[in-house]
Amino acid sequence: MKPLRAWGNDLMDFLFPPETDKWLAVLRIGLGLQVAVYALFLKSDWNYLFARTGSGLVSRELGEAIISFDSPFIPKLGWLVALGGHIGIGEETVLSVAWACLLCAGCCLLLGLFCRPAAIIAWFLHLCAAESGGFVSYGVDNFMTIGLFYLMLSPLPDRYSLDHRLVKTKPKDPQLLGFWRRVLQLHLCLVYFFGGLAKCLGSGWWDGTNLWRSMTRPPFNIISPDVLIRFKYLLPGLGISICLIELGYIFFIWMKKARSVWLVCILGMHVAIGLTMGMYLFALIMIVLNLAAFGPDFGSLSLAYRQRFHAVFTKQLSP
Amino acid sequence: MTSKRIYAAWAGVHFFLIAAVCFAGIFSLVAEGLTILPSALDKYARKGELAAASVLGKELAASNPVRRGIATYLDVAGSQSGYTFFAPNIQGYHKLILELFYHDGRVEYDSPHVSGGAAALRLDSLLDRLADPDYKPLREVVAKMLAFSVWQDHPDVEKIRAIFGSVNMPGISDFEHGKRESFQPLFSDDFSLRKEENQSTPQ
Repeated sequence: MKPLRAWGNDLMDFLFPPETDKWLAVLRIGLGLQVAVYALFLKSDWNYLFARTGSGLVSRELGEAIISFDSPFIPKLGWLVALGGHIGIGEETVLSVAWACLLCAGCCLLLGLFCRPAAIIAWFLHLCAAESGGFVSYGVDNFMTIGLFYLMLSPLPDRYSLDHRLVKTKPKDPQLLGFWRRVLQLHLCLVYFFGGLAKCLGSGWWDGTNLWRSMTRPPFNIISPDVLIRFKYLLPGLGISICLIELGYIFFIWMKKARSVWLVCILGMHVAIGLTMGMYLFALIMIVLNLAAFGPDFGSLSLAYRQRFHAVFTKQLSP
Repeated sequence: MTSKRIYAAWAGVHFFLIAAVCFAGIFSLVAEGLTILPSALDKYARKGELAAASVLGKELAASNPVRRGIATYLDVAGSQSGYTFFAPNIQGYHKLILELFYHDGRVEYDSPHVSGGAAALRLDSLLDRLADPDYKPLREVVAKMLAFSVWQDHPDVEKIRAIFGSVNMPGISDFEHGKRESFQPLFSDDFSLRKEENQSTPQ
């Protein structure tokens, strides 16, 4: 019975490590930027992507009907359109207002103004858009929902937000802050483990074929195939490295000595994906989630650097 | 302490469901024979996929509240699908070519388009989904909607033939030998826009 209790206590210690709210500030600012950029990138196509049958690219109603088969309780833009209809507002206006609210929520998160309501509104509106446009959604939508879901449940506001400066809020429970960071960390470990495992099971990741194919197919073909050919001998090594970085993340990110190396590798991979394949939004969300989950404590680093600098400087000046 | 236990219990259920979704995704890839694993494992992977699906309530009736509850929770948490992006292998991509027949006999070619790059990624994702066997029943409807979106820019078109196909990409050595991508039609639909009728022709 005793070892079981000790195991339970260890688990609780692991799940509730005391943390500052710096990681939460990174997550809030990063997701605010992500939401704002997402809204701006889709500005010109927003109504076209989410319009009803006959007015847009594909019918929003068809996507929503398929989602409703899974569950009628999953949020969708159709709810807002129906609500607008009751008070005499047309679909196009409702969609435009939803877009504007999403952009505003992103900006509020960025500034740290009305943090909790902004996080909830951003999560809800983005989720509605991602679900209604299920046909045209891709990985970035999942990761944005994941990030916003954790952000809205985390103990906001952090002390770097405008909310904290305007209304002096009580300091948050460090263990609760640690719990939500731990949840994000564990989630990322699952993401990379299963992503890496799936890649390792494909022959194309071992001989470079998949890298070649992913970078030469539209709309990811930013680099000309003629340029890629020059680096063809690097492709197998890069493909294997991606598999190992992703699969090894769950193990090495927890080791103190390997953490910074692994974090730099994974961030480098996402920067490269963004720049060479044009997946800017995907790269940004992954960088934000990684920095929030495992990023260094920038405040402590800067303090340590200043203390060290001060010590050396004082020593040199001393007679 | 009680609130900590509640948080810990939630985390346990949360990650259990996410792990089930991820395992279902991996097992599905193996069961479909898309991986380098021997085909003898396919039937076990299928069993694993079914077990993971039953954990997620997918074996229950569509209206079952447990199934709906799990589906809703996973969707709102952004964890309804696994993380098998660009895996296990990357095949070609898919294209929808629209042949526009004007009533003066002219024929033009177009394809569905959006204005921004971010939306273009989404359109590409839609076309790849259409090739998925799960989406087969919806192909014609979606192709019709995409054709209709183009027709709005060309109102004097009489008929549109939507040709959906996969583009086979050359490997590195084939590319070096001058081989370029080739289009393989998978199905085509004729939409007569003025008479509100259409015909479908699988190829």
